[in-house]
Amino acid sequence: MNPLVQVLIYLVAAPLVGGLLAGWDRRISARMQARQGPPILQPFHDVLKLLQKENIVVHRSQNFYILFFLVLVIFTGGLFFAGADLLLVIFALTLAAIFFVLGAYKASSPYSFIGAERELIQMMAYEPMVLLTAIGMYMVSKSFSVSEIASHPTLLVVTLPGVFLGFLYTLEIKFRKSPFDLSCSHHAHQELVRGITTEFSGRTLAMIEIAHWYENVFLLGWIYLFFGSMPWLGVTVALLVFVFLILVDNVFARLKWEAMLKSAWVVTLVLGFGNILALALFSPSPAAPVAKAAPATLHAPAVVTPVPPPAAEPARRT
Amino acid sequence: MSRFAKSPWIIHYDASSCNGCDIEVLACLTPGFDVERLGVVNTGNPKHADLFLVTGAVNEQCRDVICNIYHQMAEPKVVIAVGICAASGGIFRECYNISGGVDSVIPVDVYVPGCAARPEAIIDGVVQALGVLEKKQKEMAALASNLDRTQYLHADKKDAPEILGLQKTAYQRESAAYGDDCLPALKQTLPEIEAEFDHPAAPAAAEPPVAPPPAPGRTVFLKAVVSGKIIGSVRGYAVGDTTYLSRLIVHPYFQGRGIGRRLLEELEKDFPEVRRFEACAGQKSERSLAQLQKLGFQEFKTGPGPVPITWVYLQKERQ
Amino acid sequence: MNLILTLIAFPFVVGAGLLWLRPDGLRKILVAGALLVVVGLSVALALVPAPLDLQNLPVGGHAISLGMLAVEILISLYLFYVGVRARHALIVLLVLAQAGLMTWFEFGPGAHAAGSQYLFVDQFSVIMALINGLVGGGICLYALGYMREYHEQAHREVPDRRPLFFALLFVFMGAMFGLVFANNLTWLLLFWEITTVCSFLLIGYTQTEEAKRNALRALVMNLSGGLAFALAIVWLQRQTGGVELQAMLHSPDKALVLLPAALLCFAGITKSAQLPFSSWLLGAMVAPTPVSALLHSSTMVKAGVYLVLRMAPVVTGTKVGLLVALVGAVTFVVGSFAAITCSDAKRVLAWSTVANLGLIVLCGGIGTAEAVWAGVLLIIFHAVAKCLLFLCVGVIEHKQHSRDIESMAGLIVSMPRVAVMMQIGMAGMFLAPFGMLISKWAVLKAVVDASPVLSVFVVFGSSATLFFWVKWMGKLVQVVAPPPRVPHELDLGESIALHGLAAATWLACLLFPLISTHLILPYVAGVYGAIGGPLSQGNITIMIIMMALVMLFPVTFLNRGRGVRVTDAYLGGANVRGSTHFRSTADSVQDVAIGNYYLSAILNEAWLARWGVISSAVLLAAMLLLPLL
Repeated sequence: MNPLVQVLIYLVAAPLVGGLLAGWDRRISARMQARQGPPILQPFHDVLKLLQKENIVVHRSQNFYILFFLVLVIFTGGLFFAGADLLLVIFALTLAAIFFVLGAYKASSPYSFIGAERELIQMMAYEPMVLLTAIGMYMVSKSFSVSEIASHPTLLVVTLPGVFLGFLYTLEIKFRKSPFDLSCSHHAHQELVRGITTEFSGRTLAMIEIAHWYENVFLLGWIYLFFGSMPWLGVTVALLVFVFLILVDNVFARLKWEAMLKSAWVVTLVLGFGNILALALFSPSPAAPVAKAAPATLHAPAVVTPVPPPAAEPARRT
Repeated sequence: MSRFAKSPWIIHYDASSCNGCDIEVLACLTPGFDVERLGVVNTGNPKHADLFLVTGAVNEQCRDVICNIYHQMAEPKVVIAVGICAASGGIFRECYNISGGVDSVIPVDVYVPGCAARPEAIIDGVVQALGVLEKKQKEMAALASNLDRTQYLHADKKDAPEILGLQKTAYQRESAAYGDDCLPALKQTLPEIEAEFDHPAAPAAAEPPVAPPPAPGRTVFLKAVVSGKIIGSVRGYAVGDTTYLSRLIVHPYFQGRGIGRRLLEELEKDFPEVRRFEACAGQKSERSLAQLQKLGFQEFKTGPGPVPITWVYLQKERQ
Repeated sequence: MNLILTLIAFPFVVGAGLLWLRPDGLRKILVAGALLVVVGLSVALALVPAPLDLQNLPVGGHAISLGMLAVEILISLYLFYVGVRARHALIVLLVLAQAGLMTWFEFGPGAHAAGSQYLFVDQFSVIMALINGLVGGGICLYALGYMREYHEQAHREVPDRRPLFFALLFVFMGAMFGLVFANNLTWLLLFWEITTVCSFLLIGYTQTEEAKRNALRALVMNLSGGLAFALAIVWLQRQTGGVELQAMLHSPDKALVLLPAALLCFAGITKSAQLPFSSWLLGAMVAPTPVSALLHSSTMVKAGVYLVLRMAPVVTGTKVGLLVALVGAVTFVVGSFAAITCSDAKRVLAWSTVANLGLIVLCGGIGTAEAVWAGVLLIIFHAVAKCLLFLCVGVIEHKQHSRDIESMAGLIVSMPRVAVMMQIGMAGMFLAPFGMLISKWAVLKAVVDASPVLSVFVVFGSSATLFFWVKWMGKLVQVVAPPPRVPHELDLGESIALHGLAAATWLACLLFPLISTHLILPYVAGVYGAIGGPLSQGNITIMIIMMALVMLFPVTFLNRGRGVRVTDAYLGGANVRGSTHFRSTADSVQDVAIGNYYLSAILNEAWLARWGVISSAVLLAAMLLLPLL
């Protein structure tokens, strides 16, 4: 499919799908707690209501950061579904998150501040694993380009089981689910009110909500990448993962940030890095990058052309 | 039902409740009643909430807190007094430390009776509140959408009743700090305010800092108007080379949107020959003082006022 | 040719002049004039079509070499005196060892092979010269106003030795020019030693006990690097019969020059303050801010990474290279995490410098074409952005009498211009489409291609980088109680330097594709043969789009938040006087105070430094021993 079309579909469909997923999330959670739960469309009602509410701020400029957060999250997803470079996608996502955090800092209230700091800790916790996921995918498919990875003939999850599990672990953080819903908690009013979103209201809060929808769809898209060669399996697993995250959310109590940071790092080192180490040791020529003569277009793989030094090249270590 | 009715977010505050009503409020969230069916979320954050659920009578400790939470909620907002104590003070009504029901501090829209109020009653109260919420939203939308087109005009005697009403609303917050009886702004009557159009009033202190001159200076009476409704006003009169400001008021819904600043600017334009501006406010009116300082005023002295009030005098030199 | 000689000699001459110039006004004129010349010359150098004819020295190379030997002996004598006076046996020992080695070498056979080329210039040297001229020049300009304030207001207790100070700055700059253009390793060593001496004198400028101690520590570490350098020269000469850098790099038998390369890498690692030698750079914080900026951004440490990157083609793919890369990687991780634990702004900057240099050393150790490309880019971005940050912190320290990051809350209100420039600098240091992030991206790709295992260091290090920069950025924009506006933010020199550097950071980010195609790629191609850009055109385009997007951010401030209502922050409803105070227990009124996290529960600076030193020392020892086996 034309990448431009994909991006357009993403731009239009992601908020719809994301909103439905959020509604589904609340419904399933309610069922797990033996409640009826709100209608599936509840998130849309919420956002439409927020758009009509008054917008109150502590500092006027705090809202500008959120506008950019939304724009950059959409941009990130757009890059991903256009099949761009995976590392670039991660950097764009990080940038978006930084704007979110800075907006909360700007609000200068103790609660949004704690939320911002915790959000930063969360970023520090998941960032290594997310980067290692991209690296693992590169080592298998020899490309950082999302479109190349998606069209890789083998199931990535077979060679990257550790990376997949590690990524799943960090998704709990990214989806702001218990046990790691530390920064804008749904379950911790008493300690940090609403954390990072405390001081945002009305239109701005709606923007944050929509940004999360976009982000969630993009993250599930990433899950799909692990099963790129079997599209139906990919979609199914992505949805199953979503249900799994809800289950974990309802089963576990919230942990402290130290526990989150340490466990995320341990998981990254053991599962993620262990997987990559195994790949580097056991794959036939792990060190030699594969040259690809592809045109440098938007969705082309990042071409890394190795050039032997003019002199005799010393034996590469394996 | 519109969007507002489908997504009511709640903040619940326990004033001085015995926790009976609080338990029942929480019971609404349990599987048995599952108020989330209606889209209700207990946010615990005034900035996100639409409904303000208060339980218990209001005592001296929680007066300010209720006021603060109420003012930090985004419009449109609805207050629900849950339980008989919140509605009227209940059996604590005559206590030395109780000022009465929630409506002794902030305007209440829905009263839910009961001791303790039953979950069914609370949920019914919430549903009632949704209607109020919607009505308020429509009103507010009409005003807010025209806020850009606020007009700053000279007021005349015809406006006096409306301005008096606005004055009482705007000073509501101050009354919490000083008690109801002592604020001149709240005690003012219609004839008094009409008289101000003819003769400049003394500055809001009991004893004016300067005696009004025999030939009264020019008086300017400004109003800020949106869609025909007055949302702000200020009075000023010149004595010598000083203009005295009094009653810079903005409707609480529209505070913090630069309307006060614009009123002041307009007033300054009306007194091109005057270099010095003087204003005063009660010492406990920290918000008003901070506002005036933001507008360029600097404190230069304090003096006695009506019994519990100490006036702070501020001045500003034209650049 | 003459251009280069002038560029090297001119700062020395100016430095000598400044030493005798007492009046402040005259010094100002001389410094400003000299800087104009230096900046003009370095820009001219970049514009002159290469290659320059470098064979003909105006005076016989041999004569100059003898002159240089004399300077070297003088330096050794001075350092010997310093060592004896401080009763520091290690310094005496190192000086003696190096002097003995070099003397033996100079008078030994074949020290001066005929037809040797003393100087050379390629795009890498041009880049370094530009950084040195522009960034170093900015620092000197800034120092004029800063040092006046330093002596007349902030630190009256420190003896005013400004003539010496400015003289040293210029000598430093001249030595740096010499260093990047020298081809003959003995010349390079001389300039190397000059920077060591200058840094020693500058760190000890205030002459307090702490300053003296830290200066001596810096001296010891750099001298050990110098000794390794001397050993490398001697070994190289014995093995190949020549002491030329270019000859060494193009040597057909890489195994033969591996040990000298390892020794030179060691020297580079000491100078660029990698673990286990980081403590000298952290200790250098006692000096006035321009010194810190100079050591951290344009000179000193950059000399170290310059040498390591030069060695890249030799060490690439070898065990030595891997170990060098590991030292850099360990330093990157330790430095980044240590920076999280600090609240002293200069210390955070110092750790971040150490960490970023670690990244560059990592590139040098990997030594593939892409890695070197990324390393050079890192040098550029780091120089401008870090210098800007240091100078900003200097200004803040003078105005607020504290350089604690916690005291910088609300800086956006009290010192808006400095705060905005700091934001630009920080964006250049870590934020996505800007500067360092581009290089970090390239590093990551290069690392994954060369040895994926090393990537784990990069990913953990960069997540820590993110944490400490964002929390600092947040501190600047956060306003609880608006502080009063500082009346006179910047004086003229400071203003020119800061605005210039901010513009340079901004331009470097915006124009990096041009810098890459015109300077870095030709250099890399010259060393490794033709390569395509490490980042594909499509990705660069996306980067530029992203950059344009982020640069739109200030535009939103034009629309001053219409249609919003300003209210107090939520303080559990207990607000008193807006958002700044709240009612606490027993009806007391408390200030709202917000402080950053330093993760002291899980991170400890001393512990990190200790284990960093131990592990990197083991790696370094292995690096030096391996080629011998």
